[in-house]
Amino acid sequence: MELTGTAFWVFSSLAVLSAFGVVFFRNIVYAVLSLISTLIMVSGLFFTMGAELIGALQILIYAVAIVVFYVLVISTVPEFKGKAFQTKYMVISIPVGMLIFVELAIVSLFGAWKSNTGVFTPDVVKEVGNVKAVATMLFTKYLFPFEVASLILLVAMIGSIVIGRKEHVIDEEAEG
Amino acid sequence: MVPYEYYVALSGLLMVLGLIGVAIRRNIIALLISTELMLNAVNIAFVAFDMKLGDVGGQVFVFFILTIAAAEASVGLGLIMAIYRLRKDVDTETLTELKH
Repeated sequence: MELTGTAFWVFSSLAVLSAFGVVFFRNIVYAVLSLISTLIMVSGLFFTMGAELIGALQILIYAVAIVVFYVLVISTVPEFKGKAFQTKYMVISIPVGMLIFVELAIVSLFGAWKSNTGVFTPDVVKEVGNVKAVATMLFTKYLFPFEVASLILLVAMIGSIVIGRKEHVIDEEAEG
Repeated sequence: MVPYEYYVALSGLLMVLGLIGVAIRRNIIALLISTELMLNAVNIAFVAFDMKLGDVGGQVFVFFILTIAAAEASVGLGLIMAIYRLRKDVDTETLTELKH
């Protein structure tokens, strides 16, 4: 029990620290490295909440696959020369953002949320395991959205290939 | 056991940080990275409420959000590559064709 509390505070403080790095690092490469750190810490938070499947998928999909996209694109686009921040928006957005955070924190701490309405109580989850519980829901109640998700991935793959290909540039060179 | 309220408050903090990042950054790639931060905040909130409600539906939704995030990253970065090839620039201050 005590270990979970310590893990929560370590993971959450590191996640917030790296999130500040993502927002406020001028160099985009440092920002992406901070993003990797944040994603791994969020994955640790999932493990402390008992969501092992999602924690593992977080590392596999986010911290490995998606970040590799970003690193590849950053290595293709040359170094960003202009100013990193818009100072006129900084003056407005940081106080307003902190105000929104205070509001969200008050709502989450004192809000009257429902509790224990689902069927997967901690006893049930302890018996069947988190992975089996999530997979059961995924392949029974949410089977159709699961199939649609694969279709979305296919469409996104084809779309990004069509958007990112270089053919029109070659055509212009051939005509010119 | 850490109360779930702390997780929800942490999710709010990450969400606000992502929002500030979208507002103040000028590099388009940094905007996309801040969006990833906001998606992660939503994921934390989903799993925290799962823990409270004794359900696993939220974790299924986190799975879908991961899928959408992968699609969004691939299409968004493809768009950034296309914009860079046309403009040789990824600064949001100079991308103002739709404004005029």
